[in-house]
Amino acid sequence: MKLKTALVKLWAVASCCLTFGVIFFLFAYIFAKGAGAITWEFLTESPKGMIIGTEGGILPAIVGSAWYTGIACLFGATLGICTAVYQVYYCRSQRLSNAIALVMQCMAGVPSIVMGLFGYTLLVLTLGWGKCILAGGITQGVMILPFIQVRAEKALREVDQNLVRASYAMGMSRAYTVRRIVLPQCLPQLVSGVILGACYAMGACAPLIFTGAVIIAKVPKDLMKPAMALPYHLYMLLTQGTSSVNAYGTAFVMMIIVLVTNSLATWFAWRNKK
Amino acid sequence: MRKTEDRIFHALMGLFSLITVLLLAFLIFFIFRESQTAIREVGLAELLTGDQWRPLIYKDAPSYGMRNMILSTLYVAALAVLFALVIGVGTALCLACAATDRQRTLVMPYIDLLASIPSVIYGFIGLYIVVKFFEKLGRATGESILAGGIVLSVMILPYMISSCCDTMVRIRSRYGDASAAMGVSKWYMAGQMVLPASVRGILISMALATGRAMGETMAVMMVMGNSIAFPKLLGKGETISALIAMEMGIAEVGSTHYSALYTAGLVLMVLLFAINIVFELLKKRLAKEGAV
Repeated sequence: MKLKTALVKLWAVASCCLTFGVIFFLFAYIFAKGAGAITWEFLTESPKGMIIGTEGGILPAIVGSAWYTGIACLFGATLGICTAVYQVYYCRSQRLSNAIALVMQCMAGVPSIVMGLFGYTLLVLTLGWGKCILAGGITQGVMILPFIQVRAEKALREVDQNLVRASYAMGMSRAYTVRRIVLPQCLPQLVSGVILGACYAMGACAPLIFTGAVIIAKVPKDLMKPAMALPYHLYMLLTQGTSSVNAYGTAFVMMIIVLVTNSLATWFAWRNKK
Repeated sequence: MRKTEDRIFHALMGLFSLITVLLLAFLIFFIFRESQTAIREVGLAELLTGDQWRPLIYKDAPSYGMRNMILSTLYVAALAVLFALVIGVGTALCLACAATDRQRTLVMPYIDLLASIPSVIYGFIGLYIVVKFFEKLGRATGESILAGGIVLSVMILPYMISSCCDTMVRIRSRYGDASAAMGVSKWYMAGQMVLPASVRGILISMALATGRAMGETMAVMMVMGNSIAFPKLLGKGETISALIAMEMGIAEVGSTHYSALYTAGLVLMVLLFAINIVFELLKKRLAKEGAV
């Protein structure tokens, strides 16, 4: 019996150490190898070189990713938060509420590459937009929609019901209560959910391959033109296998974005609990 | 006045929800529609069970059998879930039984961080560390199903840990005090009580993690070598998602090849829906029995 307990302890502690070791290693590796590649030129110039990307910087990819992510957030957050509000405060039948939950579950289960296929046939081909920032952003927006909706719904359900009832008792309408009482109450969680969604969209490459991302483009100015994106740029650098310095640099920038967005999201979520 | 405002707000929320629901309907419809050509011309049975994938004509007629890709997807997902199970349940047990509530809230964001790392970065590190490691061991090429499984297991680890940890904390808070009052050590409690009681919770998190693993594209595509051979542990393989990502660019719009790739997407989507439904049913049943 003692041996078994000791084994359980050994296994649990060892795997815990391994998990945190892996987390530490992932960041330490990219930071150690990538920091050297970061120069002012790397952040402010376009990719150059015989094989694109081996020299020069990644500015168009950074700006492109910002556009894709911005559109994705606008699209995903509007639909996601409104659906959550409807589900929690307007939908009267339990059956409809369950149906919306099931739809979200299924949507969250659609693999990102299939999202890409969907965006390709609907936006790029059927609507005739061609590969462009708007198509890529909306495809990513559909991808992060359930991600944001689930978090928004949880935040809305956690709002103190006494406040809501008090507001109704004062004769306030449902719309007024939602806008003036409920939304301000859970704003930090909503923002936190959208930020995490943004981070998810920033890193997702699969939906962009067919809908917007290209190997090389200028700093984007037009929503109906294709643009570069950070994850796709990193993928291209790796498959060409030539410039690992710039690949490490690109990965470094992405990891910094992941760290900053996650810290922000955690800070927002904790701020409200105090 | 207020009533009109309320109505408008209500209508707006309803409209946006409707759009959301319609998006999924559209998604299924479009993927289904585009895959019709291949299903009609090649036949579903041939698509699913054929072992030859030769979309471009060289000598004889092209063939579109994606059996190897389906098996590769299942193989690499199963490997990843197996690895993540061993490490994830151990970590969850450690966090649930040995850490205080405060320590857990401090540590959990770091685990979530793992879920936020873009899959391209996982592929990058997998290529430079895992694949290189296998090559150092003396294999001609390190790209393999095993490498894919290892990389993928790290990617699904956070889902596994947070889901298992929730179950275990609940069980511990229910019986932990009684157990401590009997003078039982925390590790004895962890092994004898918490672990057996959370088996079903662990099964649920496995279903969730399998779904995640099967839908992954970029990371597995970068470390698995993308060969359409029958999957072997140390051999190269190509998952369904990698197949779509690799070939969509060269397929002519409207051709059988193009349509066959949509069928591949449809197959992947149906597999994931099935897993999700099993996951939901399990969860509902366990919630009813009060076991979770």
